[in-house]
Amino acid sequence: MSDKPIIQVESLTKTFEGADKPAVDGVTLSIHKNEIFGLLGPNGAGKTTTISILCGLYSASNGKVEIDGKNSKNNIDHIKQIIGVVPQDIALYQTLSARENLNFYGAMYGLQGKDLKNKIELWLNNFGLIESADKRLSTYSGGMKRRVNLIAGILHNPKILFLDEPTVGVDVQSRNVIIEHLKELNKSGMTIIYTSHHMEEAEHFCSRVAIIDYGKIIVEGSPKELISGNAGCRNLEDVFLHLTKRALRD
Amino acid sequence: MIKLLAAIKKEALILLRDRVGLAVLFLMPMILIFVMTLIQDSAFKSLNERGIPIIFVDNDKDSLGISIELGLRNSGMCTFNNMIDGKPATAEMIEKAVSDGKFLVGIVVPKGATEAIRSNVKVLVQQTLGVSDSLQKPTDSVEIAIYIDPITKKSFLTSVTSSLREFISEIKTKIMFQTFSEQISELIPDKNNAPENAFSQSQIIKYKEVYASKQIGEIVPNAVQHNVPAWAIFAMFFIVLPLAGSMVKEKSEGSVLRLQTVPTSYLVFLNGKIIVYIAVCLIQLALMLSVGKIFLPMLGLPTLVIGNSILGIILLSVSTAFAATGYGVMMGTIAKTEQQGAIMGSLSVLLLSAIGGVWVPTYVMPELMRDISIVSPLNWALNGFYELFLRGGGIVDVVGDSLKLICFFIFTMVVSLIVNRYKRKV
Repeated sequence: MSDKPIIQVESLTKTFEGADKPAVDGVTLSIHKNEIFGLLGPNGAGKTTTISILCGLYSASNGKVEIDGKNSKNNIDHIKQIIGVVPQDIALYQTLSARENLNFYGAMYGLQGKDLKNKIELWLNNFGLIESADKRLSTYSGGMKRRVNLIAGILHNPKILFLDEPTVGVDVQSRNVIIEHLKELNKSGMTIIYTSHHMEEAEHFCSRVAIIDYGKIIVEGSPKELISGNAGCRNLEDVFLHLTKRALRD
Repeated sequence: MIKLLAAIKKEALILLRDRVGLAVLFLMPMILIFVMTLIQDSAFKSLNERGIPIIFVDNDKDSLGISIELGLRNSGMCTFNNMIDGKPATAEMIEKAVSDGKFLVGIVVPKGATEAIRSNVKVLVQQTLGVSDSLQKPTDSVEIAIYIDPITKKSFLTSVTSSLREFISEIKTKIMFQTFSEQISELIPDKNNAPENAFSQSQIIKYKEVYASKQIGEIVPNAVQHNVPAWAIFAMFFIVLPLAGSMVKEKSEGSVLRLQTVPTSYLVFLNGKIIVYIAVCLIQLALMLSVGKIFLPMLGLPTLVIGNSILGIILLSVSTAFAATGYGVMMGTIAKTEQQGAIMGSLSVLLLSAIGGVWVPTYVMPELMRDISIVSPLNWALNGFYELFLRGGGIVDVVGDSLKLICFFIFTMVVSLIVNRYKRKV
């Protein structure tokens, strides 16, 4: 792991039009190259909003974001070249096949010809989708769609990968395949920023996590540090519940 | 370029797999052309007052009967018939045939009509020249019977009766001159000096009806000439449904969100859509024109005449396709849900088409509606096609309408980009 942060966030604030409270409230983060960084929090805590700002989907109300040493406000085109995004929703065309979807998204990242074809074949193989690659996505199971959704975000081999709950609603088999391949990608140098409600998964997958609640980072560190630093907590879920309390959220 | 090609391919695949959308784009307008043309065919015939079926019975078999028959045959205002169901028409058959709706007008010239005119004129001439007994009286007048279907337009009936009066007057004048000639010849022994019956040989003043068209030959506005371009334009604008629908679907399914994170301009996606849907519009138009050229004549309808300017047709078609696609993109950008897009899109196109003269031609609309019609881009396109198909215009004659359509496309694009920027500004 390098000491130089690949993502530097300072006092990031986002207040949506008409909202009385900020969705993200003064978040400051440093994510280093080759980290698997988990952004954890209850519903409505500000995880997706933070990731959306980092990806350039939302503009920040205040604060500063630097990605790969460049200010995100003025260098969005460069940033879009080096990031991959796997949204929480299956953001794919249901009437197209997996191969057609990947051909399209790959081309949007500038991939073409044999290079694109080989990458699609490789990832479809890796994720066990090669046999159904030419079937329409609407005929896929939830887990298969999740895997294609992930491939669309990693096809161009980005430096930084943003994953918004990539394993939500999938079976154990699909989840294991996804996590294993993400670990492989991380080993090859990809920085991963990941949000999840799945604490056990985050505990084993992330090198470092931050717990966010009401738009603020309440704690940050490796899972081991957080568990040992909170008395009586045996795992990350205990830490999470201890810090965010048990009250239900909207 | 690679990105644009990928966007075009993606859009084309999505469209090709939307069977309902394709049916709306291609089948629906073809059916509309068939149905509307068949429905409006008789209305247009009546409107043009040409080809209205007339049944004629000539019991006179003399100058008047022959003159009326020739006049009706050559007038071009009607379809002349003297047979009913393959049998020679008789005075007894004619009333029933008209009341059954087989003919709009029936005319019976009675036996001895010419002879009655002749004897009356002779009495009048002889009395004028003082060569006969002044107490000699004209014979009773003859009656030409006209049977009329109640749906016949009054203007057409007026022109038929006017024509009959004209034929009778002409024949009376002719007989009068003949009688005068004969009587004068008897009074003047030197027949070489007798006035020649030259009047009947020539018609001093003639009429010629010419439709103001640059086309060689006359193209009369008929149901085919109106309905084929009108419904083709309607179909082109109806792409608003699948186009706006696909755009809203992209938003709701999250594809747009992912597309915002890729290093490709929004315009590339938009251009991909625009190119595919412009191609769809042009295919639609080609299909509709082929319906007018090939299939409608098979149903006994007139063949579509497309004029002489292929370049004009290309310019106008491409401009219309741009305008229609731009409208679809604008609706897709503004609409928040698929239902909203479908309702807004279809209702607005129906309204614009009604205003624009697709359903009913603007030239039969009240003046107020004609004034309103100029706001509809469908009207600009239709006017352009009238210019090419009816008035025989060339590319220069449709530049104005094409420019309006292109300006409309630019307007829709500007609105779409502004709305899109506003919506993305989160």
